[in-house]
Amino acid sequence: MRAITPLILIGFFLGSCATLTPEKPSALVPTDRGTVVYKDKYEFARPSPGWFLLQALEGGDFELGFMRIEKGEFPSQTTFIYDDEPFGSSRELDKRSEQYCTRFLFNSGMFPQIRKKEKIQLMGQSAVALYLEGENPNRNEKAKSKIYLVPKGERIISFVCTQWRPFQESFDPEPFEHFERFVRSFKFLKPDFYEELKDKVKKLKG
Amino acid sequence: MDAHQRDLYLYERLNARVLGVSMDDVSTIKFFAKELWLEFPLLANTLAWMGASYGAYADKPPFAPDGSPLRFGRRTVVIDSKGIVRYIKNGSPDNREILAFLVQLEKEVLKK
Repeated sequence: MRAITPLILIGFFLGSCATLTPEKPSALVPTDRGTVVYKDKYEFARPSPGWFLLQALEGGDFELGFMRIEKGEFPSQTTFIYDDEPFGSSRELDKRSEQYCTRFLFNSGMFPQIRKKEKIQLMGQSAVALYLEGENPNRNEKAKSKIYLVPKGERIISFVCTQWRPFQESFDPEPFEHFERFVRSFKFLKPDFYEELKDKVKKLKG
Repeated sequence: MDAHQRDLYLYERLNARVLGVSMDDVSTIKFFAKELWLEFPLLANTLAWMGASYGAYADKPPFAPDGSPLRFGRRTVVIDSKGIVRYIKNGSPDNREILAFLVQLEKEVLKK
């Protein structure tokens, strides 16, 4: 017993040291335009306090996003993301929309249905907006999503907002307003991997 | 697989071709390819000789009663035009890393 006690104390000591280390700088750097810059790659309007930043630390299903836990029983929350590699593979918008919807929330068992699909202009491009809703009474949950599929260079990127609610509760339009501000303010600050690759291949081939 | 299909046009530009290899049977693979809209060839290697040759045998269950694996582990292998294995990675494929590597290979080819 005596031999174990000092080890436990060391554990506490190291634990208290950890709290004294300087806080990591935020991934979001404010600008004088009232926006934030993320990793020198993107600039956008930051959602109000209460929204937590979601980051893909290695690989993952999206590039970045925000999440807010809302009032009410689980699951009462909204997430929105920027995803530079949305589900599917087609570089044609209608086909990609079809592919996307067969994979979206696939693991939730909700089988979301398309409520509306419209052609819009976003970021100076002809894009597609998809409105989906699904429910799973067995898991007491339902979800409502708004998805933008937007051409960028030779590829298609996406912005996705999903609100989760208990099955009997109603959806709230307010979190989608934060998503809209995020999307409408979103700017690319430098060429992405695929744009750089295109240039490299072009140079290579002369 | 989705990501490989997404990048297929880039592989073609870099003179690379994609081949998927699985221990599943032909009808399972056909279904899989249809579900994911895959346009590159998938090989049903039920006797597993090809996966074994490239070291893709899974080291974790499920195993058959005789102890042999029932599936391949995920492994990406890049083979150059001379048939030499130039890149191996286990786990989920990193498409950006693969594309960057293919650019290097293409540079080598063009230098010669």
